[in-house]
Amino acid sequence: MAVLSFPWKRGARSPQQETLASVDLDRLSLLTAAIQALPDAILIVQTEGPVGNSPIRVIASNGAAQELLRIRSEEDRLVSILRHPDILSAVENTLSFGESHTLGYDTGGSQSRAVRVWTRPLLAESRLSALVVLRDETDARRLERMRADFLANASHELRTPLASITGFVETLRGHAKDDPEARAHFLEIMASQARRMSHLIDDLLSLSRIELNEHVPPSGTCDIVLLVQEVTDGLLPVLEARGASLELLAPSPGAALAVGERDQISQVVQNLLDNAIKYAPRGAPVSITITTDAAFEADSAAANAAALRDAGGGRLVLLFPERAHENRYVQIRITDAGIGIARENLPRLTERFYRVPGQKSGDIPGTGLGLAIVKHVVNRHRGGLVVESAPGQGTTFTVLLPSAPRSESPDGITKPS
Amino acid sequence: MTEHTLKFFGEELEQLKGEVIRMGGLAESQVSQAVRAVAVRDVGLAERVVVEDETLDLLQHDIERSAIRLIALRQPVAQDLRRTVGALKLSLVLERAGDYAKNIAKRALVIAQADPEIPLTRSVQRMGELVAGRLKEALDAYSAGDIQAARSVWNRDEDIDEHYNSLFRELLTYMMGDPHTIGACAHLLFVAKNLERIGDYATSIAEMVPYEVSGDEFSDPRPKWSSVEEPSKGNGDFP
Repeated sequence: MAVLSFPWKRGARSPQQETLASVDLDRLSLLTAAIQALPDAILIVQTEGPVGNSPIRVIASNGAAQELLRIRSEEDRLVSILRHPDILSAVENTLSFGESHTLGYDTGGSQSRAVRVWTRPLLAESRLSALVVLRDETDARRLERMRADFLANASHELRTPLASITGFVETLRGHAKDDPEARAHFLEIMASQARRMSHLIDDLLSLSRIELNEHVPPSGTCDIVLLVQEVTDGLLPVLEARGASLELLAPSPGAALAVGERDQISQVVQNLLDNAIKYAPRGAPVSITITTDAAFEADSAAANAAALRDAGGGRLVLLFPERAHENRYVQIRITDAGIGIARENLPRLTERFYRVPGQKSGDIPGTGLGLAIVKHVVNRHRGGLVVESAPGQGTTFTVLLPSAPRSESPDGITKPS
Repeated sequence: MTEHTLKFFGEELEQLKGEVIRMGGLAESQVSQAVRAVAVRDVGLAERVVVEDETLDLLQHDIERSAIRLIALRQPVAQDLRRTVGALKLSLVLERAGDYAKNIAKRALVIAQADPEIPLTRSVQRMGELVAGRLKEALDAYSAGDIQAARSVWNRDEDIDEHYNSLFRELLTYMMGDPHTIGACAHLLFVAKNLERIGDYATSIAEMVPYEVSGDEFSDPRPKWSSVEEPSKGNGDFP
C-alpha cells in the first residue's frame, strides 16, 4: 500500500499513529489546496455501513468536480451527482472489495463530454471510503472523430464532381478534340466543378475545426451590430448582381454585445444571408433585425406559429439554448421572401448535405454545409436557432446569442479567446 | 413524532428519491445504448440492453415496495406524501421507458441483419439523441428539484413530435421507392414511434417536479397539437 510521504516528519511514526495535532497544519492546507487545484475532477466518497444498506455520500470534492458535475452544495448523495449505472457499480465494488476500476462514459446532452473515470479504494479511515477521479477526454475523442468524419464526407461528396471532370477529360481527349467551341464550353464546366470541390473542402475543414472545439465555450465579446454591418458590406456586389436589397433594423453599435468569437459569428451571419439571397426571388428584399435583451421563447403555440402550420409550414426550434430560462440574448432575425419550406423538411435543415427536395439553388449550388456550420457554431456559443417558414410565405431564421454581461466595456473587437 | 423519528423518516425519503434517480440513470443508459445499437448495428449491445431490462423491473418493484411501506408505516402528509407518491409514479414511468428501450434493442437485432443497409438510421439516431438528451434534462431537473429547468423540458416536447413526423415521411418515401426495404423500414418506424413515446415520458418526469415541490402542475395554455386530431392539410399520410 502506497503511503503519501511527509518528508518533514521528524519521528518514524506510521501514518496511523499520526494525529492531526502533530502534523504541520500549513502543510496540510497546502495539500488540500493542491487537491483543490487539480485539473482532474476529484471526489472522495464514503459509506457508513455495508454498501446497499446505507447511501454513498460525497464527503469532499474539488473545484473541477463541482464544475464538471454541477454539484450543488446541499446535495451529498453520490447518486444525485452521478447516476450512470456503470460508475455506480464500480464505486460500490471499490467500497465493498477494495478493487480499483477504470471506465469511460459520455455525459450526454447537447454538450456531451467524453469522461474517463477511475475508482480507487482509500484505506485511511474506519469507514469504507473511495476516491473517484474523472478526466475530461473530449478533446482527444473529438479529434479522432473529426478526422474520420472529414475523410468519410470528403471522399463521398468529392466523388461526383471528380467523376464529372474525369468524364469531360475523356470527352476532350476524344470527341471534342478538334472542336474549339465544345472545348471552351467543357473547360468552363470543368473549372466550375473544380471550384465546387474547392468550396466543399473549405467548408468541410471549417466544419471540422468548429466541431473540434464545440465543447469549449467562447470567452470573448462581440459587437453584433458592427459585425452584421461588416458582413452586409461584403455582400453588396452579390446583392447588386441579383437585384436584391437588404434592410437592416438594429440598435446603435455598442448596444448589442454578445459572448462569442467574432469570426465564427460572422460565418453564421454570412451563411444565413447567403441562403436568404440565394433562395429569394429576384428583386425581393432580405431583412435583418437585431434586438437586445431578448428572452428565448420556447412556446411555439404563438399565434404566428399556428398560422404557419395552417399554411403547411411551421416554427421549429433547431437548437435550444442551455439554461434558456436564466439567460438573456442578442437576437438576429433574417427574413427572406423566398418560396418557403414545408413542415416535414424543417427538422432536417441543419443536416449535412441536406437539400430540400424540389428547391432550386440557382446557378451556383451551395456545398450543402451552410446550415450545419451555423448550427455547430451556435451550439458552441450555447445559443439558440429557430426557423419559421411556410410554402409561399418566405423563411425567417432567428439566431440567439447569449448577451455579454453588463460590466464589459463595449468594443467592436473580440478579446482573444 | 419524536425528533429522532422525524430525522429517520427524512432519511427514508431521501433514500427513496436516491433509488428513483438511480433507476433513472439506468433507464437513460438503456435508451442511449438501444439507439446506438440501431445506429451502428451492434448486435452484442442490443442483446445486453434486452437482458438489462430485468434489472429495471426489479428496481421498480423495490421502489414500489419501499414507497408503500413508507406510506403504511409513516403515514406521510403534504409534501412528504407527494414525494412518496411521486417516487412511485416515476418508477412506473421509468420502467415503461425502459420497456420501449428494450423494444428498440430487439428491433436493432432484426435491422442489423437486414440487407441492404438502410441509410435512414442517421435520422433515427438523431431523433434518438434528441430524446436521450430530453430524458437526461428531465432527470437532472428532478434530481435538483429545479422547477424552471423542468418547465423548460415540459415546454418543448413538440420538436420531438416534429422529428417523428419528418422521419415517418422519410421512411414512407424510402419504402415506396424500394419495396425490398419495407421489412427493415417497418422496424425503423416502430423504433421512431418508441422514441416518441420515451420523449413523452421525459415530459411526464418533468411534470413531477412542481408536483412534488408544491403540488402544482405546469398549466400554460399549451395546445397539444397532434396530427391525429387536426384535419390534414393537403396530405393524409400521417398516422
